[in-house]
Amino acid sequence: MTIEERLPEPSNPLGIDGIEFIEYATSQPQALGGVLQVMGFAPAARHRSREVMLYRQGGMNLVVNSSGQAPASPAISAIALRVRDAGFAHRRSLELGAWDMPTRAAEMELNIPGIRGAGDSLIYFVDRYRDFEIYDVDFIFDENTNRKPVAIAGLHWFGVVQAVQAERSADWIDFYRHLLGFSVLPEGQYFGVLPKGTLLESPCHRFYLQLIEPPSGAEDLHWDEGLLRVGLGAPDAPAAVRALQQRGVVFVDHGAVQPSHKGALTQASLGGLCFELVVSDPGRKA
Amino acid sequence: MNLERFGMDTITLAGPLEAKLKAVREAGFGQIMLQARDIAGHPAGEAAAIAAVRASGLRVTGFQVLRDFEGLSGHLHEYKVDIAKAMLEMCHALGSRVLLACSSVSSHSTDDPAAMTRDLQKLAMLAVPYGIRIAYEALSWGRHVNELPKAWEIVAEADRANLGVGVDSFHILAAKTAPEELEEIDPARIVLVQLADFMWQEARSFEERIETARHFRVFPGEGVHSAQVADLVRRVDRMGYRGDYSLEVFNDDYVQMPLAVVAERGRRSVQWLSALTSRGGLPPRARATSSPPASPRR
Repeated sequence: MTIEERLPEPSNPLGIDGIEFIEYATSQPQALGGVLQVMGFAPAARHRSREVMLYRQGGMNLVVNSSGQAPASPAISAIALRVRDAGFAHRRSLELGAWDMPTRAAEMELNIPGIRGAGDSLIYFVDRYRDFEIYDVDFIFDENTNRKPVAIAGLHWFGVVQAVQAERSADWIDFYRHLLGFSVLPEGQYFGVLPKGTLLESPCHRFYLQLIEPPSGAEDLHWDEGLLRVGLGAPDAPAAVRALQQRGVVFVDHGAVQPSHKGALTQASLGGLCFELVVSDPGRKA
Repeated sequence: MNLERFGMDTITLAGPLEAKLKAVREAGFGQIMLQARDIAGHPAGEAAAIAAVRASGLRVTGFQVLRDFEGLSGHLHEYKVDIAKAMLEMCHALGSRVLLACSSVSSHSTDDPAAMTRDLQKLAMLAVPYGIRIAYEALSWGRHVNELPKAWEIVAEADRANLGVGVDSFHILAAKTAPEELEEIDPARIVLVQLADFMWQEARSFEERIETARHFRVFPGEGVHSAQVADLVRRVDRMGYRGDYSLEVFNDDYVQMPLAVVAERGRRSVQWLSALTSRGGLPPRARATSSPPASPRR
């Protein structure tokens, strides 16, 4: 006789362990590079065969992809998640109804599997991040650069903001919950200076996704689904704002959005590129 | 007259797609239900069909029909996933926010509710990036799911935001589903209501139902179950359903009559129906259809 015991689903079925890198696509890599350097990201390595650059700051890896048909205005084109077993994560996602990523999007020499995410973006699965880095194979590091540039004011990945169509938050909550094990934070629990939408916490409790629908009464507003901006965590937000201001970063300081102890928003450049600063202490969360 | 919430279905009309769109538009309808054949079978190709629909100014009520999706296994399941993906891509290209999936008739499909639930969850997941909702409909000759309450049971168990039931008056009348059973359904999970009647009292066997459903449906108000159709419309309206109503009338006579004559019969049917429903504006979901999500990268 076979006994089928209905055990609860593991809360982190893919073993997600943070963000390995965020990828931007743009046909203006120099201009984006300039903005990133002001934000504290240092160019670290260049892809062996494609027009792809790796920038680093503290524990953050940021890839700028200019190969293929990239938009002029920088757009977040992928989130790479650290997982226990990338092959398993990929297979399980497809089994549950994810769309496999298009093969031509595989920019890395290493086979990094991925699935389609919001809009034109992808979600990659990376399992080699402990004793070996994926960049060691695909990228050429400049011997004169610091491979581990220190983060400004303790900046780290806090999360990614995603635009969703009206009344579509519930659909995307299902997507992240059932595919990746994210959970919805109770309503009213917000971080930063832009409190709106729905917050989803990663199963590793190390980063967040924020879903925002178009504001009501703005039916004519152009509102595509996709990844809008990244949130950078800082243990002391005002200190991070000051440090970045000294480097030339301009923050939005009018209306409801003001730099505060909760966070700040950088002024948009290059056709909409901005960063959100959110107070967060990764040491405390662990 | 509130024509906004009612649409015609291309299966009722003869002729090329463009002529159907024009006739429906001219009869005063604001929306149309499309079938995959309208697109795939267009003589000038898919792109031309999509362009014609987009240029018509008609909102697309939904796209039909994905058959035999749930309950299959192995290579049959893999095959159906490929079909579902192709249909979702077509549905999206047309600007449709609803894909109709009808219950399996396949003798290879399992009756295991857990497997059917899992498959519908997968279908709903596939539809998320495209911004499409799945309307799961119980065909009255479905192999394991042939009544609306059973379809709702599986949909409720699957519990996905973009998965709901499609309510079709024909199948409810043919299967003699008790009207009160509708009240068990969460109105927010009714994705689409399709309306039709037929000319005889009963369709007992599956064979009779198939024959009647495919050749002898008539517009609501023209058949012998007017009271029941009216009751169904009043009931879902009272439950709080504010979505679309589509006239799904397969009829051999109508496809050999001038388009304007058939569309006029549809208009008269809506006149009869709209007296039964609330006069609230467009459903919220319908308002959002003006700009569907951007195409995911292929």
